[in-house]
Amino acid sequence: MRGWFIVLGLATLFIHLLPLNAMSRPWATPDLLLGFAFAWSVRKPAYVPIVLLGMMLLLSDLLLQRPPGLWAFLGLLCCESLKGRAKRLRASNFASEWLTVIVMLAGATISYRIILAMLLVDQPNLGSQLIQTITTILYYPVIAFAAHVFMGVRKGIPGDLDTRGGSL
Amino acid sequence: MLLVVVSLVLIATFLVWRIDSPRVERFRAQVTDRIVPNFDWAMAPVTGAVNLFHDYQSYNRIAEQNQELHRELRKMQSWKEAALQLEQENARLLDLNSVRLDPRLTFITGVVLADSGSPFRQSVLLNVGARDGLVDGWATMDGIGLVGRISGVAKNTSRVILLTDASSRIPVTIQPSGQRAIVAGDNSAAPPINFIESPDLVRPGDRVVSSGDGGVFPAGLVIGQVAADPSGRLRVRLAADYERLKFLRVLRSHPTEPVTDTANILTNNIGTSEPTSGEEAPASE
Repeated sequence: MRGWFIVLGLATLFIHLLPLNAMSRPWATPDLLLGFAFAWSVRKPAYVPIVLLGMMLLLSDLLLQRPPGLWAFLGLLCCESLKGRAKRLRASNFASEWLTVIVMLAGATISYRIILAMLLVDQPNLGSQLIQTITTILYYPVIAFAAHVFMGVRKGIPGDLDTRGGSL
Repeated sequence: MLLVVVSLVLIATFLVWRIDSPRVERFRAQVTDRIVPNFDWAMAPVTGAVNLFHDYQSYNRIAEQNQELHRELRKMQSWKEAALQLEQENARLLDLNSVRLDPRLTFITGVVLADSGSPFRQSVLLNVGARDGLVDGWATMDGIGLVGRISGVAKNTSRVILLTDASSRIPVTIQPSGQRAIVAGDNSAAPPINFIESPDLVRPGDRVVSSGDGGVFPAGLVIGQVAADPSGRLRVRLAADYERLKFLRVLRSHPTEPVTDTANILTNNIGTSEPTSGEEAPASE
């Protein structure tokens, strides 16, 4: 299943890198990789181990021309905190999960911009980054749905076993 | 624990990037180089499919677009006809314009009989000669521009030394800068321009006209346009059609009166008692 996460990561990168339109658009595509990482972290935290997550996020940073490591670090922190809350979120409904994700994403974006501003690094347009955050937030239900239905990454129920028979 | 390690690695990467970005950028380039080309077998069809989807709407309108394009094409063809006619008219008018000569300059038209016969002499033979009143040194034009000078008059024929000949030297003016120069032939199709005072003021495309310096040639005759050859030398692209010299006009030019008594221009009391020419008006001082 972890292998599938790698495949998923590569697929999202592929979508981001498609040469559909050379001109920059006013709206940026949502950060699908992070969205899927969040969705998977809430539902099946075992499927997204730290090292794998760190590597995928770093890879996406490198390929998408962001300052490498920073967004990966913030994303990793968010994912880890989501994994910690996974048990609590398992019991509650989608709305609270979504709210948690919104708060996490907003916090990550703000910290990203503050750190980059402190270190005097060129940042993308505030407007377009805000739009990217908002679209990621809006796409999150779709992502969660896709994870739930198409990828089978569902919230664990008591008695769930992983492929080798150990409890999840 | 693992979280701390991985976080430190990521932060370290970021800091290294901040400190020494060329190195990290090279690393990024290597990563991109390793990964992205592997996608490209899949990118092409996906991109194609997405573009196809974008074009889907235009497929619906293809018949309509076809009609529209046909209509436009017909309109363009009629414009093309109009443009060709205008171009011809323009050429004729320019032609007429460029040979608006001084009314004092009458001309004799002659037919080119023969070429010079030698690769080192660029000249043509005309069928008009001394019996028609030709004199050495007169300018010769075709319909468009200056062609050469009469040099050698016989009874029935005369030879025109073309501008491209190695011994031809014509004083010219380059418009619009108004500079004087000499067009010296060198047996090539485009004679070079020599003795330009400020070559920076002269650009390819400027008109070259005869300047009438020295009184040997009438002024204002079109010679051609400045062009620069690949080595940067300024040459004249001659306006006359040297490939098709048939009818040439020999311009009669009567030079100005030679001034022999320089002193009598100002007053008429020195030496002689009366003015030698009507132009010398007595100046009252």
